[in-house]
Amino acid sequence: MTDVTSQPPRPVDPPAAPARRSLLIEDPRTRRRNAAERRFRAYGVVAIALAMGALVFLLFTIFRDGTSAFFQTYARIPIAIEAQVVDPAGNRDPAEMQKVLTMGYGKLLDNSLAAYVEANGIEIEGLDDRDLSSFFSAQARADLRNAVLANPELVGTVIEAPVMTSSRIDGMFKGRVSRESAAIDAKTSVAQYDLAMAMQERGDLQTRFNWDFVTSTDSSDNRPEAAGLGVAILGSFYMMLIVLVLSLPIGVAASIYLEEFAPKNRLTDLIEVNISNLAAVPSIVFGILGLAVFINFAGLPRSAPIVGGLVLTLMTLPTIIISTRAALKAVPPSIRDAALGVGASRMQTMFHHVLPLAMPGILTGTIIGLAQALGETAPLLLIGMVAFVTTYPSAPPEGFLDPASALPVQVFNWTQRADPAFFERASGAIIVLLVFLLAMNLLAITLRRKFERRW
Amino acid sequence: MDDVRMVERVVDTDARDIKFQCKDVQVFYGEKHAIKDVSVDLLDKTVTAFIGPSGCGKSTFLRCLNRMNDTIGIARVQGRMLLDGEDIYDRRVDPVQLRARVGMVFQKPNPFPKSIYDNVAYGPRIHGLARNRAELDEIVEKALRGAALWNEVKDRLGETGTGLSGGQQQRLCIARAVATAPEVLLMDEPCSALDPIATAQVEELIDELRATFSVVIVTHSMQQAARVSQKTAFFHLGNLVEYGDTDDIFTRPRDPRTESYISGRIG
Repeated sequence: MTDVTSQPPRPVDPPAAPARRSLLIEDPRTRRRNAAERRFRAYGVVAIALAMGALVFLLFTIFRDGTSAFFQTYARIPIAIEAQVVDPAGNRDPAEMQKVLTMGYGKLLDNSLAAYVEANGIEIEGLDDRDLSSFFSAQARADLRNAVLANPELVGTVIEAPVMTSSRIDGMFKGRVSRESAAIDAKTSVAQYDLAMAMQERGDLQTRFNWDFVTSTDSSDNRPEAAGLGVAILGSFYMMLIVLVLSLPIGVAASIYLEEFAPKNRLTDLIEVNISNLAAVPSIVFGILGLAVFINFAGLPRSAPIVGGLVLTLMTLPTIIISTRAALKAVPPSIRDAALGVGASRMQTMFHHVLPLAMPGILTGTIIGLAQALGETAPLLLIGMVAFVTTYPSAPPEGFLDPASALPVQVFNWTQRADPAFFERASGAIIVLLVFLLAMNLLAITLRRKFERRW
Repeated sequence: MDDVRMVERVVDTDARDIKFQCKDVQVFYGEKHAIKDVSVDLLDKTVTAFIGPSGCGKSTFLRCLNRMNDTIGIARVQGRMLLDGEDIYDRRVDPVQLRARVGMVFQKPNPFPKSIYDNVAYGPRIHGLARNRAELDEIVEKALRGAALWNEVKDRLGETGTGLSGGQQQRLCIARAVATAPEVLLMDEPCSALDPIATAQVEELIDELRATFSVVIVTHSMQQAARVSQKTAFFHLGNLVEYGDTDDIFTRPRDPRTESYISGRIG
C-alpha cells in the first residue's frame, strides 16, 4: 500500500447547486419557448382567417351573382287569342292549328302589348314595333302556342296569364340593365326601358320566385330567361345513383379483401400502391378512358348518364377503398381477437363486428367520394355530356341511356355563352350544386353520429 | 405467500386425464425463435399456470393452443399439439372449430360493443347451441352465473357491455367464453387490468371453473399462480424450464433459474 492510496480520499466537490431562481420570473429559455408557442398559434389563426376569408368571399360573390337567377320577371297583361291568327280555318281542329307556327303566336303577344300600351295611355317617345316584339321572351310564344293547342277552347278569348319577359327586361329589375346601357345595347332600347318601368309602376310587371330555373330544361343562346337546370339535376342524380350502387359494394368488398384476407406479398403491395396512385390520377384521364372503353369499345351512347356514372365510379373507387381500409384498420384488434376467440370465422368476425364498427368511416368516405364525383366536370366533357339537351331523360333504367347533362357541366356550358343573363344562371347553378354538396355532407355527419353511438 | 390456502387447493393431479399433449413445439416469428422445444402435458379439470419474465414466450405458447397465432402472418408453429389425441395443427383441422372447444379470455377486457345479453349469446348463436330463445336465455343465464356476474347484471341485460366496470367486463368476457361450452379455457393475464377486489373475484371464479374445464392461465403474479393453480410451468427465454405441481415449483424448485425467478432475482 502506498502513501498515495493510504491518504484519505479527497473530498469531491458536490455538483454546484443551481442558483435558485424565483418561479415568478420567466427565465430566458422559458421565455423563448413561450414566444415560439405564441408565434405558432398566431400562424394558425392567420391560416384559419385566410381560409375563412377566401370561403366567405367565394360564397359572397356566388350568392351576389346567382341569387337573382331564382327570380324572373313576368308581365301580366290581357292576351287576346285572335281566331283569325291561330285558327285560320276556323274549325278548332288541333291538327289544322298545328300549321300555325310559333311566329304567329308572337304576333298575338305583340298585338296584345300594343293594345295594352294604348289602353293605358302610356306614351313613350320612339317606341316602335321592334321594341314591342322583343319585349317578351321567345319562350313565351312557344308556351302560349302549347297552351292553345292543348286547349283549343281558348281561341277567340282574352286570357290573362303571366308572360315571361325577355332577359333584357328581366335584367332591368335585377340591376343588370340600366337606362344608359339600354341606349347602347342593340337588343334593347331606352323606349323599351321606359315601357318596362311604366308597366312596373302599374303593377303589371312582377319579379317573382322562379321554380322553372330548377325544373326546366336548357335553352338556346337567345332565350337565357328560359334556361333551367332540370336535365342537369336529373343527369347528376342518375350518375350519383350509378356511382353509389357500383362503387360502394365494389370498394368495400375490395378493401375488406385487401385488409383482412389477402396474403401480404409483392402482388398485394403492388395493388396497394396502384390504388393510391389511382386516387391521384387527373380526372380528365378517366374521361379519356371512358371515351375509349365505354363509348368507342363497348358502344354505349354518348352523353348518357350510364357512361358518366361508370367513369365517375372508376374515379371514386380509390377514395372509397382508401377510406374504408383506414376505417377497418381503426377497429381495435381486441375486437377481432374476441370474436375469433369464441370461434367466429373470419367472415363472421368481419361482418358481425368489424364492419359495423367501421361503418361511420366507410359512409363518410363514400359520401365524400360521391361529393367529389358530383362536382367533377373534366371527364364528363370528354364523354359528350356537354351536349345541348332539351328533353328530360326518362325514368331509370332506360333513362340511364338517354342523353342528359350534369350540374357542373351546365355551369361550364353557361359561363361560355355570350349573354350576361347566362352568367347569372351559371352562378345560380353553382348555388344549387353547393346546396347538394352541403346536403350530402350533412348526411355524412348525421350517419356518422348515428352509427357511432353503438360504440 | 398464503400457504394455507395453497394447501387447500392441492388435488391429486396424477389421477387426471391428459387434455393437451404438446411435443417438441417450436414457434418462429419470422426469424425469431420464440418457443424452443417445449413439451408439456396439460391435464383435464386442472388449472395450469404459465409463469415467467416478460417476453419468455408464455403468451405465445398459450395462443398456439387455440391457433390464435394463425392470425399473425409471420408466425410458424412446428411440433405436435394433441387435443384429446388429435393434432390441432393437422391440415384437416378448421381453427374455427378448434376455438369453439378451446375458449380464450384476453388480457384486456374486450366485450363487444353490444348488449350484455348479445355478448354472451354471440358464441352459442354462431355455433347453433340453442334451438330457441328460451334455451338461449338459459345458456346466457348459466354462463353469467358461472362468471359470478348474474346478480349484478340480471336487470340490465340490454345495456351495452362496454358500460360495465373493468372487473365486470372481464367477468363478462369469461361468461362469453364459457357460454360456448369449451373444454379448455385459456386465460392470458386475465387480471392484469383489474383491481385487487376484482382480481379476487376472478380468481375465485377460476377455481370454480376447474370443476368443468381445463384452465390454462398466464400470469405475471406468482402469488396468483400459487393461489389458483395446481400445476405450474416456468418459461424462460422461450424454453420450458420447469413444469410440475404448483407447490413443488414454489417450495422445492429443481432448476436454479426457477428459484431465482420466484425469489425475485431474475425477471
